[in-house]
Amino acid sequence: MMSQSSFDRLSVALSIVAALLIGAAVIALSGTNPLLAYGEMVEGALTGSGLRNTTARMIPIVGMGLALSIPFRAGVINLGGEGQMVLGGLAGTLCAIYLPGPPALVMAASIVAGAVAGAFWAFLAAAGQIWLKLPILISSLLLAYPARAITSYLVRFPFADPTVTSSSTVPVPDANRIPKLPLFGGVSASLVLLAFFLVAIAIFNQRTVAGYETRMTGLNSRFSRYGGVGVDRQVVWVMLASGAIAGVIGTHLVVGETYRFLDGDLVASGFAWTGLLVTLLASHRPLPLLAAGAFFSALQIGGLAMQRNVNVPWQIALVVQAVVIVVLAGRFVLSRRQRAQPEEIPMAEGELTVTGEV
Amino acid sequence: MSNALELRGISKSFPGVRANDNVDLEVRRGDIHAIVGENGAGKTTLMSILYGLTAPDSGEIVVDGRTVRFNSALDAIAAGLGMVHQAFKLFPTLTVAENVVFRNEPRTGIFLDRAEAAKRVRALGSEYGLMVDPGARIEDLPVGVLQRVEILKALYRDAQVLILDEPTAVLTPQERDNLFVTLRRLKDRGRTVIFITHKLGEVMAVSDRVTVLRGGRAVAHLDTASTSPTEVSRLMTGRNVDLDSRPPPSLLGEAVLSVTDLTVRDDDGLVRVDAVSLEVRSGEILGVAAVAGNGQHELIEAICGLRPADRGSIVVGGREVAAADMAVTRESGLAYIPEDRHRVGTAAGGEVWANLVMGFQRRKRFRRGRFMRRAEVEEHARRIIADYDVRVAGPAVTAATLSGGNLQKLVVGREMSHAAPLLVAEEPTRGVDVGAIEFLHRQLVEYRSQGGGILLLSAELWELLALSSRVVVMYEGRIVAELDPAETDEAELGFFMTGGSR
Ligand SMILES: Nc1ncnc2c1ncn2[C@@H]1O[C@H](COP(=O)(O)OP(=O)(O)OP(=O)(O)O)[C@@H](O)[C@H]1O
Ligand SMILES: [Mg+2]
Repeated sequence: MMSQSSFDRLSVALSIVAALLIGAAVIALSGTNPLLAYGEMVEGALTGSGLRNTTARMIPIVGMGLALSIPFRAGVINLGGEGQMVLGGLAGTLCAIYLPGPPALVMAASIVAGAVAGAFWAFLAAAGQIWLKLPILISSLLLAYPARAITSYLVRFPFADPTVTSSSTVPVPDANRIPKLPLFGGVSASLVLLAFFLVAIAIFNQRTVAGYETRMTGLNSRFSRYGGVGVDRQVVWVMLASGAIAGVIGTHLVVGETYRFLDGDLVASGFAWTGLLVTLLASHRPLPLLAAGAFFSALQIGGLAMQRNVNVPWQIALVVQAVVIVVLAGRFVLSRRQRAQPEEIPMAEGELTVTGEV
Repeated sequence: MSNALELRGISKSFPGVRANDNVDLEVRRGDIHAIVGENGAGKTTLMSILYGLTAPDSGEIVVDGRTVRFNSALDAIAAGLGMVHQAFKLFPTLTVAENVVFRNEPRTGIFLDRAEAAKRVRALGSEYGLMVDPGARIEDLPVGVLQRVEILKALYRDAQVLILDEPTAVLTPQERDNLFVTLRRLKDRGRTVIFITHKLGEVMAVSDRVTVLRGGRAVAHLDTASTSPTEVSRLMTGRNVDLDSRPPPSLLGEAVLSVTDLTVRDDDGLVRVDAVSLEVRSGEILGVAAVAGNGQHELIEAICGLRPADRGSIVVGGREVAAADMAVTRESGLAYIPEDRHRVGTAAGGEVWANLVMGFQRRKRFRRGRFMRRAEVEEHARRIIADYDVRVAGPAVTAATLSGGNLQKLVVGREMSHAAPLLVAEEPTRGVDVGAIEFLHRQLVEYRSQGGGILLLSAELWELLALSSRVVVMYEGRIVAELDPAETDEAELGFFMTGGSR
């Protein structure tokens, strides 16, 4: 008998193969040899500067995935990662630009500022649910718009760099930038932060009492409440943690990558949404999340190389990504159906719920 | 007489359990066939194999003399089977008629012919004594009526064999009697009924034959007329079960719960508990008798901290908790066996250990700082599994795979392990087998003899009378009588429960 997890792994592999085959068909239709194109993709993603770019892209994708995985695992749907990331990013950037002092301290302060701003924005969404009874799913999403507007205003007016035509801040002074590690020809030291988040979350989930309680709330919040868990307080904590990590990632994207906060830049990246997909695919578990994030990063970077070298539009990479998602999502629905049946049998006795059949 | 269906040599294993072991079953056409067995004996598994929901490892199913293979419930339905689960599969926002005719709608052109659907539902209902309003919305209906809708749905699809898994577990005595009338009518019209129950009185009252499962094997096929509840329970458990002994009196201590002038509203703002006062003292079991929906559940929720009190006071362990949540009431010395083990009492997706440590997780014994002491947690889980005879391979198994009665024992075992001064027990023996009822009753009596106070709710009046030191009756949110179980009987309780007064 196959265990659930080996079944999972097999079907993940199968859906990736299926997606690559569909991608190959599309490439062939556009008149290019798919093997050639894929070769370029792999080479572009995993060799030379490609490896650096893939790793660099992994930081925000996995980072946002981790940020969102914390509330999701507790059954709290934070769709406002983007707003939290953008506001955190601006707060961190402004600190890095304007705060006087020794660079190491300024850098630390800017990361903390990013975390605080992101956490604050996430807290507003939690407060909306607890005091205004507005579901976090909605309040967090709605709060993304004012976050954009506020940052947009700030970088266009009070903090605009008058010497450039685009609306952006002045660049972060060289000394205050997050340094590059001597890895793959220069990956941001934020990678260390990412590793720290990953390990901390894995330990929290597996080993701590609060990690246990959040998982139970995610499985059945009435059960948690019944067991004496302060579910409202828990909502606040998971949102604070989520927003803080999102804010740090936003800070990294400027202070460790682009060095200028350019209006709309962080939003256009779509990292928050890719992160959302990644955590959903990984069922909010940190290690699978890292794997999924690395795969999507490689796909995107490889896609760009493919476009450059064999002139296949890089959207093909997005097609492959989309197919993986659709196939995997289909697998979730399927396996949930298969599991739903034996699960419903024990529910036959004493269950009072009315379940809608779909 | 011919067989409506036969199961031959059905076996099914799950990791670590042989749920069905070479089971043979013959069900004669037109019979009411009862299936009994201890919790985890494999009854539900056998029925879900018969209904195409689970594939057997080996064995065959014969319907009307033909060997069949069911790949899904749809195949089983096509072969003339119908199953009523208690997790009803109905569309909450649609009407009764729309649910019943779903997938076989009478049409005018492409539109559902509502009048025709309602007419057919009404006709089927009056034929079988299943009275429902075809135009009523599912979400507005109580459980007993939903069950009727499910039966109608099966009959509308012309089920010749109807399978019911513990249909009476959630019914009031009145609803149960109605169900039995329906079952007899089905029989009179030549249909076949298979039903699972733990209540041997029901087996004797309505069935023609009974099959006893034990440890996954069919150990006996009996004619009801020539057997007795004692014989059946001995076959199920391998020993004699005695449920009639009355507990000895015990010493009363101080109050562990005092409720004064408590008023509670439901989600719609209606007053469900109306100025109730009561007291539970250490060393006693206070029984609460009430017909479903007379405020007893809201009373319990308010005491536990799961529902706000409108007015009045609740004191648990010397602490005012009328405005508290369940973290506080648990801390003050309360444990709670909830009526609904699925929606409140467990997390189906969590492991057995995760379900057993709930409520304990912040205790010193189970943590080192912020970290959980997994070895201690597993040890705790193992002990409850052993003490309460929860049939499960180990603490790491997912709770969703436990049989109904075993999940109930898990919840009861967990809450009793708190050894809290006040135990609130709501339907503590729902869905457990007779042997386990006897065991749990002994545990409850032991609990109060050790100085615990118990507030007991049960729809089974005999259970209330057998366990309680005192019984209060609730009617329309008020306490209308207090009785001494030694000097009253079910008839008198029933009289007060339906609004009678002296
Ligand atoms: N999907 C599953 N995975 C693993 N074990 C299972 C699964 N379904 C059932 N079992 C096990 O099979 C055994 C029989 O379960 P089943 O639900 O058939 O019992 P039952 O006779 O209906 O008991 P109850 O009276 O408590 O409802 C139990 O030990 C149960 O834990
Ligand atoms: Mg069962």
